[in-house]
Amino acid sequence: MSWLSRQFSTRVVVLIPVAIAINIVLGYTVQTVLKLPIYLDSIGTILVGVLAGPIAGAATGAASNLIWQYAPGIGGGTIGPFAIVAGVIGFLAGVWGYLGVFRPRPTSGARLWLAVVVGVAIILLLASRIYNNPAYTDPNVGGYPDWVFTAAIAIAVVASFAVAAFILVRRDAAGAWVAAAGALTGIVAAILSAPIAAYVFGGVTGSGTDLIVAALRQGGADVYNASLGQGLFSDPIDKTITSFVVFIVLASLSDRVLARFPLGERLVRPAPAA
Amino acid sequence: MTLALTGVTYRYPGMTRPALVDVTIRVEPGSVLGVVGAADAGKSTLCLVAGGLAPATIGGKVEGRVEIDGAPTGDWRPSDLAQRCGILFQNAETQLSGTAATVWEEVAFGPRNLSLPLREVAERTTWALDVIGIEPLAPRDPGRLSGGQAQLVALAAVLAMRPAFLVLDEPTSQLDPQGTQAIGSALRRLAHETGVGLLVVEHKTDLLASIAEQCVVLVAGSVVAAGPVTTVLADPRLEAWGIAPPSAVRIARAAERAGLPEQVVAAMTST
Amino acid sequence: MARSAQIISGSAEIDVRLPDFVQRLPVGTYRRLNPTTKLVVAVSEALVAFTVRGWTGPVAVLIVLALTAIAARTGRALLPFLIATIPLTASIVLVNTFLFPGATDPIFGIGPFTPTWTGLEAALQATLRVVAFAMSVAILVLTTRPDDLVGDLERRGAPRGVTFVIGATVRMIPRILQRAGEIAEAQRARGLDTEGRIWRRLRGVLPLAAPLVFGSLNEVEEQTMALEARAFSAQGRRTPLRLFPDDGAQRALRWTLVTGTAVLIVLSIVGRLAFLP
Repeated sequence: MSWLSRQFSTRVVVLIPVAIAINIVLGYTVQTVLKLPIYLDSIGTILVGVLAGPIAGAATGAASNLIWQYAPGIGGGTIGPFAIVAGVIGFLAGVWGYLGVFRPRPTSGARLWLAVVVGVAIILLLASRIYNNPAYTDPNVGGYPDWVFTAAIAIAVVASFAVAAFILVRRDAAGAWVAAAGALTGIVAAILSAPIAAYVFGGVTGSGTDLIVAALRQGGADVYNASLGQGLFSDPIDKTITSFVVFIVLASLSDRVLARFPLGERLVRPAPAA
Repeated sequence: MTLALTGVTYRYPGMTRPALVDVTIRVEPGSVLGVVGAADAGKSTLCLVAGGLAPATIGGKVEGRVEIDGAPTGDWRPSDLAQRCGILFQNAETQLSGTAATVWEEVAFGPRNLSLPLREVAERTTWALDVIGIEPLAPRDPGRLSGGQAQLVALAAVLAMRPAFLVLDEPTSQLDPQGTQAIGSALRRLAHETGVGLLVVEHKTDLLASIAEQCVVLVAGSVVAAGPVTTVLADPRLEAWGIAPPSAVRIARAAERAGLPEQVVAAMTST
Repeated sequence: MARSAQIISGSAEIDVRLPDFVQRLPVGTYRRLNPTTKLVVAVSEALVAFTVRGWTGPVAVLIVLALTAIAARTGRALLPFLIATIPLTASIVLVNTFLFPGATDPIFGIGPFTPTWTGLEAALQATLRVVAFAMSVAILVLTTRPDDLVGDLERRGAPRGVTFVIGATVRMIPRILQRAGEIAEAQRARGLDTEGRIWRRLRGVLPLAAPLVFGSLNEVEEQTMALEARAFSAQGRRTPLRLFPDDGAQRALRWTLVTGTAVLIVLSIVGRLAFLP
């Protein structure tokens, strides 16, 4: 019980509305103003999860989608039924927070290159798992559009370079962990979203990603697998970008501020060797 | 009843250097104690320690005694302390709860947190609006007030907790001269009519000269001067400490340099 | 004229008159219903529309919604909510009609994109569900102020953290939206592209997100302390302020809707509703 109430200290209760508003406003701006094929509507959720814990993260995620759905003015179209997914994203972020995934890990020399290799390997491994998914490659289905594969390979290569550059430029091995956590979160989100999209909305969501759904269906995927395929395409990218944004934000907050949050001590940089 | 800090040294969490060093101050009921100091002299820290938020809410370590009427404030929960010593910050916007549709409900937010009967919530709200003189604002949307009005609402909101002491951390730093004046006269009325003891941190020494009776100067976390406000704010070392003296003092000094008769200078300083 | 509200404190009943601008009772028969009743109605409608498959669920809910809309006199205010569903419903109709997996009953022609009857039926059903959902949201939003809902939930014993989060978020969204607009404008003035190719727009994300998140996080510390200074962390239930009339009929309606929806969901999951068209 104290474990639970600790996650909802006054500071966290103040942070949650800020996080929800950031989710909604940034998601709305990225999707309708910048018109990008990513969502970026879980920065606040992951931030709260990492700073406060799994239950606070889950509450933030679920509340974001429900409030967005019913918010006058920028009403969220199809976002409400995905509240469960948003909750799980927040829960996972809390787990990553406990595990210290988002703690900076300044490194140099050979260990830095090791981190680069590990980070790139994780991305390529996940990418190959995703892009060998039956939704894209089931031999019974066949005839999937070539551009899906081309785009998949291109994205995996770009992502590998981006993660490698991040680790090398910041001299921080945490980049590998953050990338892995983000991609894993994305895969879980995709797996949970697919049945909701398929069951509730006939497999589409009214955004740009419907093109991918259409392409997969044209290739012969059924309603569920087409949604899953689209999710596995978009979500890992989205959640990895989101995780890096959160990492950058946390890394630029002072230890003094971080330490006051429930999971703060797991985010504080290791003291420099005296 | 007295708010007293005795030999207080405070360190923020994870810091070895103290932000306050051996600070001793006393705030009496119905009186105003002014605090001046350069940026980073520890003024905000003093407010947090005196208001009991450090270490209760932000952590850190206090040595020495922080007491209200002889009882250590550290023994109270933040919600109990809020009814003995209130605290007002610089930024009006972030101090409002952000949940109220009207100023009236914003001021009622604190008393409602205490689970008081509705009758008492309503009485305290009306009283606080009245003391600060902002009843006309009661039906307004707190999100659409000027900076000065919002700060007055924040002051009324803290006052509705009925604290015996009030700590104010540069309450006018984000306000225009008009807003500053409004806060100044509200504070004067507050101390003289309600008997609340005020600890006011303020770099506007003109304002302080007009509301405070006693004054202390903080340099690098230590009290370097203390006494009646007219004496302290006329201290020749003030500028060396990074503090601009009140205009009355500056004018008097200029008059002195210009060779005006001593009586004229004295008359100027006293106003 | 001030309305007198009653609360129970200990054993004594106290009459307290709140100013009218605080009480703000809504006008109109439907709007005057207890906020929680309107919430339960809207959520039940959405759940039934989604869980009872085929035509029955969405059509039945749409009939109820139409009647509610008339009772609530929402009028033209519903239109923007319905128009907002067009991108989604268009996508649903196109993707399902032309690309329905396994459908073998073409409406006309033969080619790479053949519309099918099965697909069209699925598309129309999904469209009706989406429209029903949008209408249920719209009627709730148009007839119930967030403050009223939060106030009523608070009176029903919702924890102070929950009501604070909902109340603060609703007021914060317009503020942060405005801040995001200002940041985007400032970045555009510095030559950042919000219109160009996807790659250029993608590069605009961090310059937009970072200041937005930082600016908002900076306020958390001071607001935390300000709330503590107003006894936010005190124990016990907050004093309810605004009271909304409730009665036995509404209570009965709420319980009927909650149990009825639960039964329908269960029956639908175990497949006992398959006989419905």
